[in-house]
Amino acid sequence: MDKQFVERRRRDLITAAGLAAVAAIVPLFVKDVYVQNIMVLTLMYAALSQSWNILSGYCGQISLGHALYFGLGAYTTALLFTKFGVLPWFGMIAGGLISAAIAMALGYPCFRLGGHYFAIATIVIAEIGLLLIQNWDWAGAALGIDIPVRGDSWLKFQFTRSKLPYFYFALVLACVAWFVTWWLEDSKWGYWWRAVKDNPQAAESLGVVVFNSKMGAAAVSAFLVAVGGSFYAQFVSYIDPGSVMGFQFSLLMALPAVLGGIGTLWGPMLGAVILIPITELTRSYIGGSGRGVDLIVYGALIVLIALARPEGLVGLFSRRRKEATR
Amino acid sequence: MGLLYGLIAVGLALIFGLMDVVNFAHGEFLMLAMYVTFFLFTFFAIDPLLSAPLAAAALFVLGAAVYLVIVRFAMRAKANVGMVQIFATFGLAIVMRGLAQLFFTADYRSVPNSWLGGKTVSVAGIFLPQPQLFGALVAIAAFGGLYLFINRTDFGRALEATREDPGAVALVGIDKNRVFALGWGLGGALVGLAGAIMATFFYIYPDVGASFALIAYVTVALGGFGSVFGAFAGGIVVGLVEATTALILPPSLKSVGIYAVYLLVVFIRPRGLFGSM
Amino acid sequence: MTITRRDVLLGATAAAALLPLAARAQTSEVVIGATYPLSGSGAQVGVDAQRAFETAIDIINNDQDFELPLAKGVGLPGLGGAKIRIVYADTQGDPQKGRAEAERLITQEKVSAILGSYQSAVAVTISQICERYQIPFMSADNSSPSLHRRGLKYYFRASPHDEMFSAGMFDFLDAMKKKGAKAQTLALFHEDTIFGTDSANAQTKLATERGYKIVADIKYRANSPSLSAEVQQLKAANADVLMPSSYTTDGILLVKTMAELGYKPNAIVAQAAGFSEKALYDAVGDKLEGAITRGSFSLDLAAKRPMVGKINDLFKAKSGKDLNDNTSRQFMAMIIMADAINRAKSTDGEKIRDALAATEMSGEQTIMPWKRVKFDESGQNNDADPVLLQYVGGKFVTIFPSQAAVAEPIWPMK
Repeated sequence: MDKQFVERRRRDLITAAGLAAVAAIVPLFVKDVYVQNIMVLTLMYAALSQSWNILSGYCGQISLGHALYFGLGAYTTALLFTKFGVLPWFGMIAGGLISAAIAMALGYPCFRLGGHYFAIATIVIAEIGLLLIQNWDWAGAALGIDIPVRGDSWLKFQFTRSKLPYFYFALVLACVAWFVTWWLEDSKWGYWWRAVKDNPQAAESLGVVVFNSKMGAAAVSAFLVAVGGSFYAQFVSYIDPGSVMGFQFSLLMALPAVLGGIGTLWGPMLGAVILIPITELTRSYIGGSGRGVDLIVYGALIVLIALARPEGLVGLFSRRRKEATR
Repeated sequence: MGLLYGLIAVGLALIFGLMDVVNFAHGEFLMLAMYVTFFLFTFFAIDPLLSAPLAAAALFVLGAAVYLVIVRFAMRAKANVGMVQIFATFGLAIVMRGLAQLFFTADYRSVPNSWLGGKTVSVAGIFLPQPQLFGALVAIAAFGGLYLFINRTDFGRALEATREDPGAVALVGIDKNRVFALGWGLGGALVGLAGAIMATFFYIYPDVGASFALIAYVTVALGGFGSVFGAFAGGIVVGLVEATTALILPPSLKSVGIYAVYLLVVFIRPRGLFGSM
Repeated sequence: MTITRRDVLLGATAAAALLPLAARAQTSEVVIGATYPLSGSGAQVGVDAQRAFETAIDIINNDQDFELPLAKGVGLPGLGGAKIRIVYADTQGDPQKGRAEAERLITQEKVSAILGSYQSAVAVTISQICERYQIPFMSADNSSPSLHRRGLKYYFRASPHDEMFSAGMFDFLDAMKKKGAKAQTLALFHEDTIFGTDSANAQTKLATERGYKIVADIKYRANSPSLSAEVQQLKAANADVLMPSSYTTDGILLVKTMAELGYKPNAIVAQAAGFSEKALYDAVGDKLEGAITRGSFSLDLAAKRPMVGKINDLFKAKSGKDLNDNTSRQFMAMIIMADAINRAKSTDGEKIRDALAATEMSGEQTIMPWKRVKFDESGQNNDADPVLLQYVGGKFVTIFPSQAAVAEPIWPMK
């Protein structure tokens, strides 16, 4: 609220715009589809993690079941397209709205739960979703949904070889997720959440309004993750329950934010930019041995970062800035 | 079966419930205990029944080591301790799976023809497999022992006090790290016991822990954190619910019943059945 | 089967030493990609697949005296003696990762063809990518019938799919019934992923068509911590024939649980997978005396076709195991692909595709009990006949169809 704060927010916005512009021209120089694929995934995880961060980082409600919303987005889009011929652009919005509605319906009873009880409830709810889809024959059950690709089309949002449209969509999604976070930081909700974190007594006096703001955060977070799920369905053009709704996926979504800096504006981006390329490269170049070495490297890295930088890698870059916020 | 879930959960109840530390590598502890049992059986022909204490001892060392090398630092984090614990132990779980694949290969193993394996007691037409029966007895003994231990010994009280207020216990001369390292070791030892018994009737491979980990978390949370008796009750409830759900719903949905009961319980009692925190 | 790091290093050094030689001799190499789970729960299959492919290229790249295509002489004569090199990629059993790896193999490693992939879900995305880049993909061991029905031009499968396998199983049951054996009621027991679902769908369809009664149809969650509730239901149904479709892990647990709950089925006719894996019989073989499984391969063939035994020895030297259902199919996929590349006289995807489509290989030129290898317009080989094997006295004997059988079935199982 003071001048420094306003100044920092302006600087954040300019930095983000600059980074987005730089990212936008990278594909002009990097033509290799494998590298482009990694860039698309990185942006996708950045967007997902940023969205997860709104509820779990800023709002403090640690969800380990966000794969549910990702899967809902992916399934809504794919089912509407393959069964009713609805274009994925509408499916994306529909999936987002459904997820947001479900997030609010689930938030109502769940937000009363504390700490681990809440986290386990989110895991369990996502598992129920997974099992239901897996046993729902009309939705392909375990066979999943194969989205037929018939040539390049913006209308159907599918492209045979080119990664560029996916890249730019993921970039826009990541920017939107970032911007929403940025905007929330300075909103009424943002203030309440900070107040609640710093001072539990404040939470009680704010009671009802905070509860409503948490519902809002859950809805926004679920909407964005579902759009990410729709994007994934179009990008991979095949979905099955295990790969879009599995428990591992909930963790993978949270990982960039945790390693980058949970509850920070830049953490999820930074985490994704470091983590996703490492994940992909270790699997591609040392995973072929069949001896599990890639897992060891990957796991050890997570342990090391989590222990060495508990506040997130973001701390390395902006020590000065953190002092400014204090 | 419910008591077996309880047995797997009891070690977790100690770590997760009593020390308030999340251990996402719990399933991998179990996996390792099963491998220890398997190798003792294969190379030294030691029956799982006899090697159970050895597996427990090995896992005691592992548990204490994990605490001293990893968790101690994770708990020191200033911000979001919970997430740091989750992901430090999650990373550890991945490393352990990778190491298991590297050293033990991804082949499926199993302990054939142990003293208990495959034998059943038949009571009035109901078949009770010996390994599970024995597991249930061990589970009851482990719970009883742990309950007395926590409530009747100095160490148990120290453990609880350390969790509640680490600053204050330091003043009375209790070393927090020593207490917690012992707590982790003990938690590990209990998983070791569970693993040795599991090995008599379950298959063993690097990812085996994943099948049990989630059920164990739900069991502990269902019973309520901070309560040994809760985890015991949780195990029984989970076993019963699983068996009943399988009668009403297709078996592929049987976990849904367990999850639904968990949600129902915490919505009504936000601290689980017998939770104190 | 222990490979130390030193072995790998030695191998790498040897390969590096050979490279300049190959370049000097102007014989280019042909690169083939293999996408398998090399970490995670299916890793063992991927590791075994590597040994199967190595055995195959050993035979192709070196001069060996077998009745297989390309065994004699060095390398691919159609390409001036070019040798085959395999590049492995780890899919971790995940469709998205399989897709990314296939794309990497095509664009970076410049592979001419891809073989894969154990999990059918992964084959879906890999074959899509191959179609987009016009690179042939051959399913070595995927058995989901939906795979070849997607109108893909670059998709091929030499081995049977689940409907063909299931038809073989029902042909056998028909024959048993004719002989007066008790085989009227069936209990299906299948896992809930793509394999179990496809298998159960095919079996349900066939059972209705041929007038069998399904008294229990139990779908269970793969890698469940317990199967006691499921086995209780099987026991209550007490069908004449138990038909499980399970991977190794669940297979072991199923058999152990059956023994514990005192359920002895009249007969087991299994949809391979776990029931053709050595690990399952190592674990619970003593309880499976007389169990029957469908298969695509049988070592009994060695009696009629001696090369099968010799190739099995080659494979055993590398892996410490006998060829089984999966590894034999992987081996053949490599041979068939190499044969097509040789006839295409090119590493161009489209030409290889056309050569594959024109494949005509007699059964004697394979190590399988197949009639021949010839692909229909959807890329499926319809002349690959499954066999039924019975586990007797610690090994498998072929019991069906009659032209391949070496023994009479024991029914009911002991």
